[in-house]
Amino acid sequence: MLDSMANENPFQDALRFDRQVPECAIVIFGANGDLTKRKLMPALYRLAYDRRLSTGLSVVGSSRTPLSDDQFREKMLEAVKEFSEDTDFDESVWKTFAQGLFYVAGDIGDAGLYRRIAEKLGTIEGERHTGGNVLFYLSTQPRQYAPIANGLGAAGLGKGNGWRRLVVEKPFGHDLSSARELSNQLHQVFSEADVYRIDHYLGKETVQNILAFRFGNGIFEPLWNRRYVNHVQITGAESIGVEDRADYYEQAGALADMIQNHLLQVMATIAMEPSASFQATSVRDERSKLLRSIRPMTPDEVRQNAVPGQYGPASIGGEDVKGYRQEKGVKPDSQTDTYAAVAFFVDNWRWAGVPFYVRTGKRLPKRVTEIAIQFNSAPLHLFNQDGAWNTANLLIVRIQPEEGISLKFLSKRPGTGMTLRPVSMDFNYGSSFGERSPSAYETLLLDAIIGDATLYTRQDMVEASWSVVEPIQNTWRETRFDFPNYAAGTWGPAAADEMLARRGHEWRKP
Amino acid sequence: MGTTVAPEKVLKELSALWVAHGKEGAAAGAAGVLRACSMTLVVLAETGDDLAALGETIAALMPEHPARALMIYLRGAGPRSLAERVTQQCWKPFGKGPQICCEQVEITASDAALADLPLVLLPLVVPDLPVIVWCRSARLLRMPEFRQISTMATKVVMDSAGLAGLAAVMGWMADATREGLMIADLSWTRLTRWREMLSHVFENRDYLAKLSGISEVRVEFAGELGVAAWLMGAWVANALADAGVKAALRVEKQDGAALRMELSGPEVRVAMERQGDRLVIAVNRLSNCTNLPQPSDYLLMREELGIVRRDAVFEKSLVSAARLAYSTDK
Repeated sequence: MLDSMANENPFQDALRFDRQVPECAIVIFGANGDLTKRKLMPALYRLAYDRRLSTGLSVVGSSRTPLSDDQFREKMLEAVKEFSEDTDFDESVWKTFAQGLFYVAGDIGDAGLYRRIAEKLGTIEGERHTGGNVLFYLSTQPRQYAPIANGLGAAGLGKGNGWRRLVVEKPFGHDLSSARELSNQLHQVFSEADVYRIDHYLGKETVQNILAFRFGNGIFEPLWNRRYVNHVQITGAESIGVEDRADYYEQAGALADMIQNHLLQVMATIAMEPSASFQATSVRDERSKLLRSIRPMTPDEVRQNAVPGQYGPASIGGEDVKGYRQEKGVKPDSQTDTYAAVAFFVDNWRWAGVPFYVRTGKRLPKRVTEIAIQFNSAPLHLFNQDGAWNTANLLIVRIQPEEGISLKFLSKRPGTGMTLRPVSMDFNYGSSFGERSPSAYETLLLDAIIGDATLYTRQDMVEASWSVVEPIQNTWRETRFDFPNYAAGTWGPAAADEMLARRGHEWRKP
Repeated sequence: MGTTVAPEKVLKELSALWVAHGKEGAAAGAAGVLRACSMTLVVLAETGDDLAALGETIAALMPEHPARALMIYLRGAGPRSLAERVTQQCWKPFGKGPQICCEQVEITASDAALADLPLVLLPLVVPDLPVIVWCRSARLLRMPEFRQISTMATKVVMDSAGLAGLAAVMGWMADATREGLMIADLSWTRLTRWREMLSHVFENRDYLAKLSGISEVRVEFAGELGVAAWLMGAWVANALADAGVKAALRVEKQDGAALRMELSGPEVRVAMERQGDRLVIAVNRLSNCTNLPQPSDYLLMREELGIVRRDAVFEKSLVSAARLAYSTDK
């Protein structure tokens, strides 16, 4: 009994308690940046507010700006107050949380920075009982990932008394070879199991709920295949333009910025085979397998199945909106795609022949991310249906802004005649469970601390995504497009509509 | 209002309300009314209870736990009579989109009519879904009719806080549990966040390694928190015993803090105390403060409605607490 005592917490109560979080220190590189202020620190504060963090949890911020611990705490306090959504600010909670905030200034190219971080972590481990567990969070420019990993490795920080994990934000390379190169460099210090590639889409409640919906219910999975599904539409639309990200966006474009990572991960979640268990490895194996089953396109197929777009100026609601080429930092003859629509095909028995239409774009009519699964129509029209209502069943999974699931079906209109009308059965995540959904960063940070990588992207998944996106990129690079080809505030270029029309399909207007 | 209640009539009235809502919805351009239902919730309350506050609690619970709510109001002595009223609550989660509604049936019963209640309630429960009975009446708990009502329950929720006779109350609950009734006590629910924080401390390997040195567990309580204090003490003692640690347990009534707990030994001291809307936990020299709102009926029921299976940890703690409190009482 005494032996087991040293390993197991006797106070656990899985029925009522949330997942227990081990003690650790989090080192944030780029601690003075926007992501830390807007997302990471508010998420950590909320977790502290909700009693989700261990008593001694500590955060070491690092960036080039010289700051004392207290100055860093003051900056983070401002960030938490400004950017915490639907969370009350509680002075007492902040006070104890802030006692665990520390700061180490330095240049990532300077070996001294890593020595100072190591010293700080040593002190924290002794005073705050963090058990030597450290989560390194790279909230920096992607080009700094490899130098930081090298610096950590050289200072011996890749290993220690407890676990060591590395969290990196997208993009994971800008093509297949750069993604591989980046992984090779990270793997010199951290094993693949300790590298957590964050994709905040996978942290969203509804994306996780797709797994519950598909594999927790017996009635949907039998329909989830080429016999019953006609096609799938995945939309990630944004109403804003490039804002102040022109530098990055000029290099990336919509295809690499959204489809290569977020939307292909969503597609993999929708289309993957059931995993043997809900263990991270099993789920990620299935996602990876699905991504590897997506058919890479030849240049001819790219021209048939992929449409780039770029928004032009327009007047929306009386307000003049700039075209992409007029945005600050954008070349006047830019060929960057601000819109991309692709018809993917999955070469496996379940999905052979079913198009997965994936589209994303800037300056579309509204901000919405959703998946629409259109089922085949009834084989015979028994009823005198009005053409407008002669629609197939649709299952819509909304990821943002209002997370929820809707099922559209036809029903007889009450009365003596046999008139059908569509009805929609809606499940709204917020109103159905009332409870506040944790932000994607809260979920993902907790997962990383706990060591649950289910919602993180693995290297083979990154490579599989690049393998299907790269041929499209290459073909587009060799083509000169007549941009702009859609007006801001519209649903994208006409060519995207034609791409679907060729198969008798039509884009939904969410 | 009559002196009897016909379940068939109540069911017809519910259907009529759905039709009326459907027509209103159709007139407003919506595509019909949709119902979400995850359980039947039977609430037993005295007419002297704060029924307005209770109504608000039920309304707040419905979005998370959509249910057919059967509200039974006990009006005490008087001739044998039952009366009912049928209402619905609706909300529109998608702006102008379809509504999701919850049904509510209110039945007023005199004590003399309590024996009629089980057969009235039986046809009104929603088929295939759990039946949760929330008994807010201390008086009813001790009446034989309550046992009859509870036989249809998947789970019975009660609140031991404020009930007279601490050891007897726990003994009654322990007996009911042994007889197979799935029982939940809100005194236990109030402890969840406390227990979770304590558990959190021992997720830390440094502190876990010092667990064997804990020699004393002290729980202090004031006011109506006697059952909660004994349950907490029994839970900690059981957990320590499971880990092979023998610690002395002291549960004491104090004038000061409403609830306070301390585990101590030569190398580790953990103290927990509520301070307003916060829980302050001190582990040796480190202290941590987290949000802990006062547990309203809404928060407590929200947790209990989410658990529709036996709570083995509670049941074990209850049996131990009843035994310990009884021996202390003697």
